Amino acid sequence: MVAPIALRGVCYTYDRGDRPVLRDVDLAIAPGEIVLLTGPSGSGKTTLLTLIGALRAMQTGSCVVLGQELAGANERQRVALRRRIGFIFQQHNLLGFLSARQNVAMSLEIDPAAPERERLARAGAMLAAVGLADKTESLPGQLSGGQRQRVAVARALVGTPGLVLADEPTAALDRQSGQDVVRLLTDLARQRGVPILLVTHDPRILDIADRIVAMEDGRIVG
Amino acid sequence: MIALLAGRLAWRQLTSSRARLVSAIAGVMFACVLVFMQLGFRAALFDSASNLPRALQGELFLINPLTLVMFRPEPLARSRASQTLALPEVAQAVPIYLAQAKFRNPDTGRQRTIQLIGFDPEAGAVDFAGLAPLVPALKRIDTIGFDRRSRPEFGSVVGRLERDGPFEVEVGGRAMTVVGLVSLGTSFGADGNAVMTETNFRRIVKERQPSKTDLVAIRLRPGADAQAVKASLATILPPDVVVLTGAELIAWERSYWEKGTPIGFIFGFGSLMGLVVGMVIVYQILFSDIATHLREYATLKAIGYSNTYLRLVVMAAALLLAVLGFVPGFFGSTVLYDVVAKATLLPLGMATDRAVAVFGMIFAMCAAAGLLAMRKLGEANPADMF
Repeated sequence: MVAPIALRGVCYTYDRGDRPVLRDVDLAIAPGEIVLLTGPSGSGKTTLLTLIGALRAMQTGSCVVLGQELAGANERQRVALRRRIGFIFQQHNLLGFLSARQNVAMSLEIDPAAPERERLARAGAMLAAVGLADKTESLPGQLSGGQRQRVAVARALVGTPGLVLADEPTAALDRQSGQDVVRLLTDLARQRGVPILLVTHDPRILDIADRIVAMEDGRIVG
Repeated sequence: MIALLAGRLAWRQLTSSRARLVSAIAGVMFACVLVFMQLGFRAALFDSASNLPRALQGELFLINPLTLVMFRPEPLARSRASQTLALPEVAQAVPIYLAQAKFRNPDTGRQRTIQLIGFDPEAGAVDFAGLAPLVPALKRIDTIGFDRRSRPEFGSVVGRLERDGPFEVEVGGRAMTVVGLVSLGTSFGADGNAVMTETNFRRIVKERQPSKTDLVAIRLRPGADAQAVKASLATILPPDVVVLTGAELIAWERSYWEKGTPIGFIFGFGSLMGLVVGMVIVYQILFSDIATHLREYATLKAIGYSNTYLRLVVMAAALLLAVLGFVPGFFGSTVLYDVVAKATLLPLGMATDRAVAVFGMIFAMCAAAGLLAMRKLGEANPADMF
């Protein structure tokens, strides 16, 4: 089985800064592996995540994600790859005017061929899996922070992604609900064999990982 | 299918905030009513300008080619009317005299200009509603028929006539008896009209030579081909007259007001202002919707929605607003037309072709606002989400 993520010699410099943010990064993630990416702020974690997530164009090096080489990939190829990745952000970023179920179904609406009823059924089942079976018709404004982030987890997983990228998903949550959300995410990912790359500062969730990768000053240090 | 889903998302977003939706619809509706009123006034004024030519019965007409507009006619030789009778297809050629004179308001004594129309009422070349029963009375000396749709500034002529019967008024400095009412309507050139025989016309307009008339209505024998007769008349008549069909006469009159005056431009400009205001309102609504949902839009891009899809959402919202605003705007304008028509006596009303045109303009206005607002989508950068 091919590695879902394989990076070789990735360097990145922002337009205005002369100092590179990423220097010669090599990283591989195995199928089903849950990897935590830690390091001080400014160490390049987030930039690395946006490159892997095809949200940013590559500069130097090779980055193969789910079989797609991102070096030299065009916008269309990047958009196509993003559809196969589940994203979880610091903020839930749910659409306030859609119910929890409709928000989750937005991940499935990208493929307009599927029947609406099937989309809503899958969204409902996914919400049940994150423990929100009774909140499917609630608007995000009616949910607690932890519940909203669980909706975001459901949205990331409902499309059966080949990879989940998460950026400090616990940052906006209190201790208990933060831990709950991350455990839920990792449990569901393990059941489905989906690899996760999770950026975090949060020392309380280090034990969920198969492997911890530390970054410093644009390099992987361990 | 993608467009439908984008449209549904736009609909859900629009309807999520009632207050914003109502203000957006009100903005579109405002633009819609403004454009309808401007175009309605324009059409009404142009229509009313051709009130007189439309009331004339005749297949062909003669006018002096120097005549720009009916209320200021250049005279033509009356003998041209007789000359047309040389053609066997011509049944009748009726001279019509036009002039403006002062009419003294019988209530206030103030003077106001009225349009005089003099013709042989028995010739059947003019058909004003209410004329036929007046013919015997009009043939008496110093009598006129008054246009009941004249502006109210001429005084309570209609009321007096209905109450007391015929009474005297001063027209062009001469005492004339109002013997009855016809229905014609006001126009740019005339606030009111009075009809009379040729003889009575010359009693008011004394400087007029009998040999000069202003307009000749030609009636053809049944079965005659107007275009063919027009062509033959053009060959036998000297170039000091032009032969026009009824439609051409109306177009001649309209074209003066459309091209020779700033009226067309003024109402066109008014419509444009309405559209600009409407576009700014719709743009503001769409723009603030995008600005407040920038993070959510960026998230949609991150999870694999293309820029095209988000543009579709914005465009769908714009076009939904066009439809939602046009419908109440259309009905509101229909009611307003009625109110204004009663107040101004102008022939103002809803017309299908205008409704279609205004819908097109409102649609284009909203689409333009949508295109402008879309530029804001570029700021929704998914790479900033982490």
